[in-house]
Amino acid sequence: MNQVLTTPPAVGAPRPWKFPEATTTTTSTGTPVHVYDRPGQYVATVRVTIAIPLIAEPRDLEGVATIMSRTLDEGTELHSANEFAAALERHGAAYGVDVSSDALHVEISVPVSHLAPAVQLLAEAVTRPAFNQADVGRHVTIRLGEINQERANAAYRAREAFAAHLFDPSTRRSRPTAGTPDTIRPLTNTQVADFYRGNIGPERAEILFAGDATGVDVAGIIDEAFSGWTSTAGTALETPEPLYLPGNRVVLVDRPGSVQSQLVIGCAGPDRRDPAWGSAAVANHVVGGTITSRVDTVLREEKGYTYGTRTSFAAPRKGGTFSLGGAVRTEVTGAAIGDALRILREARDGLTEQEVQEAKDSLIRTAPLRYEQADSVAQQVGSNIANGVPIDFADTYLTQIAATTAAEATDAYRRYVGANGLLVVVVGEAKDVRPQLAELDLGDLVDLS
Amino acid sequence: MPLTYPIAEQTLDNGLRAVVSSDRAVPIVAVNLWYDVGSRHEPPGLTGFAHLFEHLMFQGSRNVASGQHFSLLETAGASLNASTFFDRTNYFESLPSGGLDLALWLEADRMGYLLDAVNQENLDNQRDVVKEEKRQSYDNRPYGDSYERLVKLAFPEDHPYAHMTIGSMADLDAASVEDVHAFFRKYYGPNNAVLTIVGDVSVEDAFDAAKRYFGHLPAIPQPPAAPDGTIGPMTDVQRDDVVSDVPSDLITMMFRLPVDGTPELDAAGLALDVLAAGQSGRLNRRLVRDEQIAQSVSGGALPLIGGVSFGTLTGIASDGIDLQKVEDALLEEIEKLAEDGVTEDELATVQAQAERDWLEQLASCAGRADEISHHALLFGDADRINTRIDQVRAVTVEQVQAAAAEWIRAGGRVQVSYLRADTAAETAAETLGEQA
Repeated sequence: MNQVLTTPPAVGAPRPWKFPEATTTTTSTGTPVHVYDRPGQYVATVRVTIAIPLIAEPRDLEGVATIMSRTLDEGTELHSANEFAAALERHGAAYGVDVSSDALHVEISVPVSHLAPAVQLLAEAVTRPAFNQADVGRHVTIRLGEINQERANAAYRAREAFAAHLFDPSTRRSRPTAGTPDTIRPLTNTQVADFYRGNIGPERAEILFAGDATGVDVAGIIDEAFSGWTSTAGTALETPEPLYLPGNRVVLVDRPGSVQSQLVIGCAGPDRRDPAWGSAAVANHVVGGTITSRVDTVLREEKGYTYGTRTSFAAPRKGGTFSLGGAVRTEVTGAAIGDALRILREARDGLTEQEVQEAKDSLIRTAPLRYEQADSVAQQVGSNIANGVPIDFADTYLTQIAATTAAEATDAYRRYVGANGLLVVVVGEAKDVRPQLAELDLGDLVDLS
Repeated sequence: MPLTYPIAEQTLDNGLRAVVSSDRAVPIVAVNLWYDVGSRHEPPGLTGFAHLFEHLMFQGSRNVASGQHFSLLETAGASLNASTFFDRTNYFESLPSGGLDLALWLEADRMGYLLDAVNQENLDNQRDVVKEEKRQSYDNRPYGDSYERLVKLAFPEDHPYAHMTIGSMADLDAASVEDVHAFFRKYYGPNNAVLTIVGDVSVEDAFDAAKRYFGHLPAIPQPPAAPDGTIGPMTDVQRDDVVSDVPSDLITMMFRLPVDGTPELDAAGLALDVLAAGQSGRLNRRLVRDEQIAQSVSGGALPLIGGVSFGTLTGIASDGIDLQKVEDALLEEIEKLAEDGVTEDELATVQAQAERDWLEQLASCAGRADEISHHALLFGDADRINTRIDQVRAVTVEQVQAAAAEWIRAGGRVQVSYLRADTAAETAAETLGEQA
């Protein structure tokens, strides 16, 4: 056989890449508009990002931001809920909302050829919602049903228990973003409308467009649609620093009938204000960020305990987390947790030069793929705004990664993972899992049903 | 308005069909291979084999060590994966264009020489991983077995679509290394695949690279065709009522639909969209918004090439609402559509939604490469990606009604219902009460 074909071909140097640049203007009512012209992207995303820290919700009405966001398009001053949906979908548009711990995002994706009428409808939902009690009440009921679905979902239950035990109860993030039955049930359209008036306005918003803007006056279309937006909401509260609960602990959530144990193992982590944010991402990539990482090399490829696990450092505006998540076979739950903890702790002893170089190459070189599509540009910029970092933060992140040494990646990891204990959450068949946990030294055990 | 993505095609001497679509606006390239082997090709006793290869193909080959496929590509900046479906298996990666040769070399080495690395040890290991995949995706989640139940009812035993891609764990357990090797030799070769390259490379360089890495691989004997699955609409109703620990009562109905690549299938898909797509679909308006008997509704067509496709409609009952009410409302809407058809405005809406979906699918090099492979392999026409929207736009309200009247009927369906233990008990008590 041809010698050339027995060894991997060399990889050519990648073309230099930077995050796309925006043209930024301001609407007549003072809202910044960032236009990302992406030639060839025939479907555009238009995203309105509005700063709302979840601490703005009254404690006994948590989830009101979610119900408000879901009823923006359920009837406006101009259209009923059915009319609004029919009009938007007739233009080939899709509409969606997302509430995170620091911001509300309202967005449409639409073929650029239908941009103007679709943006008009987006503005109508954001600036002129009706909040009829029939629609609010229906969404309260739907949210209660959704909570039932969430409780049946092992991965959701594990994430929920992780937040509840990693954060101090005084921290909003210890509880579900979208509320619990006792805080959702009392909600009426009056409270939803009050929350809207207190929190939604042009001075809290930024508007993004990403798509092929050839021959289209995008800023003009957005300015016209949002020109009548007035509000008394004022500027947003600042999100407070979260409080974490330290120490080694294990939480066992009984889910009878489970054939796998859903795991989350983790602790506090950095956020984007930390200059080591990029170094932490490099360390994560080595330890558990991919199928070839240290954790899955053992748990999946050597032992066949799992379809796959992943670790990540994640952070909203303030205060991050590190976590490992995945599902393992019930009978090997104790063994899998033991292996995972050993690997997570051993990584504190140091990541190798080669591991770190490969992680850096992967993270830097995948950037153009991550932001190829218009929608992913809008997602990234929207979360940058919510997280309080510059809109081109992707470039800062890549610069941090490029500058990371093996020692710095190790140091960023050591500062968090295992430094103040690790919280282990297991959602599964408790009677089968409990004896396996007893053999491990995991700290205090909390049993939940 | 037809799209104008460029398409260039060549068939190598060994039968490999190569398709190139150059796009110099991005610094990346997508490589995508579709093999003409899916779960529909699996004979009885070998279910799950096509999917098992989706795992084994990452375990190394003659010149690639175990784990090296992922590590070499990840370091080059690739995003990579594979998927298995009823009709085919695909393998793909996108990466900065300087890595094109590496991607092609890795794909060629496993196409030609995978079996050098398939042994008892990695078969056992990946079989365990597949079992965890099944537990995670099917067994450990509410309603996770609904499609398994539905295809079993909708198609005769041993029909190519009567089993799911994950297959039977008993079949996988019974598989020997020799069985696995034989399956690979039968289906994996250059003349049973399409290779698509999209992105930052010239047409000439892309074909040269395809020949450089794949040109020397020998053709395999013509693989056996999948069994013919041609079958008409359902003519009766078959139900599977499950009492289970589910969070809410749920019903899914399944209908056989026309084969993919026909205006009839496009029309049937649009009919299901008028019922179930988006917020303005008939089912959402009636069941979720107006009557509030359902928490959510969903549905759509699943196009298939082997003689027949299928489509589904799903409703999740609101808390305290008898699932029968949801079923009755679904059936009423189904019959109404079959008898009265759809309006021009409804059809234009679902066509506009289909157009956006399609443009989004083609918005990345990876998505475009996947659709090119798809249309080249299953229809012998890569350029179909440029005309798909026009085909969907050409469907008329008359065609939608005709397709619905023939294929989507209350009297020709299968359904699976999941009832919570407590609601099932209430229903049983009511039934007894009525009898008394």
